[in-house]
Amino acid sequence: MLKIANLHAYYGSIEALKGIDIEIAPGVVTCLIGSNGAGKTTLLKAISGMIRRTGSIVFDERNELIGESPTRIARRSIVHVPEGRHIFPGLSVEENLEVGTIAWHGFFGRKPYETEKRSVFDLFPRLEERRGQLGWSLSGGEQQMLAIGRALMARPKLLMLDEPSMGLAPVIVSDLFRKIVEINKLGIPILLVEQNARLALEISDFAYVLDQGRVRIEGKAKDLRTDPRVQEAYLGRFAGKTQPN
Amino acid sequence: MQGLNILLQPNVFMQLTINGVAMGMIYALMAMGLILLIRAIGVMNFAQGELLMLGAFITWGLTYQVKLPFVLMIPAAMLCFAFVGVVFMFVAYWPLRTASYPTATVISTMGAAMVIREIATITWGSLPLVSAPLVKGVVRVGSLRLQYQYLLTIAIGAVLIFLVFVLFEKLYAGRIMQAAAQDKYAAELLGIPTVLTTAATYIIVVTLASVGGYMIAPVFLVNVTLGTLQLRAFAGVVTGGFGSVKGAIVGSLFIGLVESYSSTFTTTYKDAVVFLVLIVVLLFRPQGLFGERVADKA
Repeated sequence: MLKIANLHAYYGSIEALKGIDIEIAPGVVTCLIGSNGAGKTTLLKAISGMIRRTGSIVFDERNELIGESPTRIARRSIVHVPEGRHIFPGLSVEENLEVGTIAWHGFFGRKPYETEKRSVFDLFPRLEERRGQLGWSLSGGEQQMLAIGRALMARPKLLMLDEPSMGLAPVIVSDLFRKIVEINKLGIPILLVEQNARLALEISDFAYVLDQGRVRIEGKAKDLRTDPRVQEAYLGRFAGKTQPN
Repeated sequence: MQGLNILLQPNVFMQLTINGVAMGMIYALMAMGLILLIRAIGVMNFAQGELLMLGAFITWGLTYQVKLPFVLMIPAAMLCFAFVGVVFMFVAYWPLRTASYPTATVISTMGAAMVIREIATITWGSLPLVSAPLVKGVVRVGSLRLQYQYLLTIAIGAVLIFLVFVLFEKLYAGRIMQAAAQDKYAAELLGIPTVLTTAATYIIVVTLASVGGYMIAPVFLVNVTLGTLQLRAFAGVVTGGFGSVKGAIVGSLFIGLVESYSSTFTTTYKDAVVFLVLIVVLLFRPQGLFGERVADKA
């Protein structure tokens, strides 16, 4: 459903992605793993149009996203949940969710979005409890739920999650990842960027390992879990050696 | 304390209260615009007074030069205000929004103030122009004589303030504008056209200030010096507490009243009294009368 070929991306004159080829299959969870500065976040920004890029990103086999603005891409229902959540601090939980509908709602008019809101509340009952509370006052985990919930309001055809586990307690993270799997079961393809490679590989179907702006390893997530190169570099296990403390 | 005795006469007091609230409304229209711009794009607009002045000139020109009847003058003026807003945005803000020196956008509003002043002087000259009140005459309530223009100013100010609140608190579009103001990055990722929301903000800001100019034109004369009223709006914003629209409105009304009441004591030092009060407020309540409703979470 998303086919990326020879993608280069730039921060000013610095080339952050150096020719990336990736394919995202419909209905599955695809993850990008890699160390800091490998280009995972940059790749998401390149897809959503937030930075300058060249190459080709074809969505749904006919729409070329290179050259399109972030607004245009969001209207294609490609939704990017950024690193650090970025929820609207001065809006309530419910208002944050409402704003998420802009991609299909349009600036004016009054299209109903009760169904979407209901299903987000069903997925995250915690958000319903806190519906009137202002965004800034939520805990980190709740903010992440809200960021994902807001993205679901946009009726995503592709959901891109950047570091959803960042700064959250392990018990909250495992809960959140169960929800991500649940969302995927609804038929929404997910592109997941995660520092926590072990966790990401557990819930993903397919995985790419990025390093210095290039794809180093790719394959089925269950194969990568046992790949010695991945284990050594990203899962903190030294192949054939005992693990030092 | 002869001034105090005069002020405490019920008639005088009522009269000054009405005048003060009317002037406060004008300041509030400007002050609201200041806050809306600070929230939406983080820019303190030093051309706010000039926008008010330009609004007075535009409506004067449409009434006395183009000679439009009132019912046509209002929509024509609205179109002009919207045009001024969009031009102001694309000239004074848009090219500089990604400048490496963020204060550039603030300084450019000071430049814009000079440009607007000069344009007004070239177009309409530097002599004060007379503008007739919307409705002539006075209302008598008992022994009280109240000018229609002041009452109308209060009413129109209140309506505009109400409309802005409805837009931002009740309408979908206003919610979207708030979101774009609070986090531009997230807004763009969700598909909010931030150019549109910013332009809409500018149009609202210019319209508020310009209507203020229109209402005040019969009270003062239409003159380039109307721009100096900006200082009252700043005083209102600071008194109310930076960042809160409600605070800005209350602060502005407060400044209007202080100014009005002080006129029984001195007319020469009216400006000084306003700023004396401002200093006192800052000394005892530096955060202003209202705090910010958004706090940062660590």
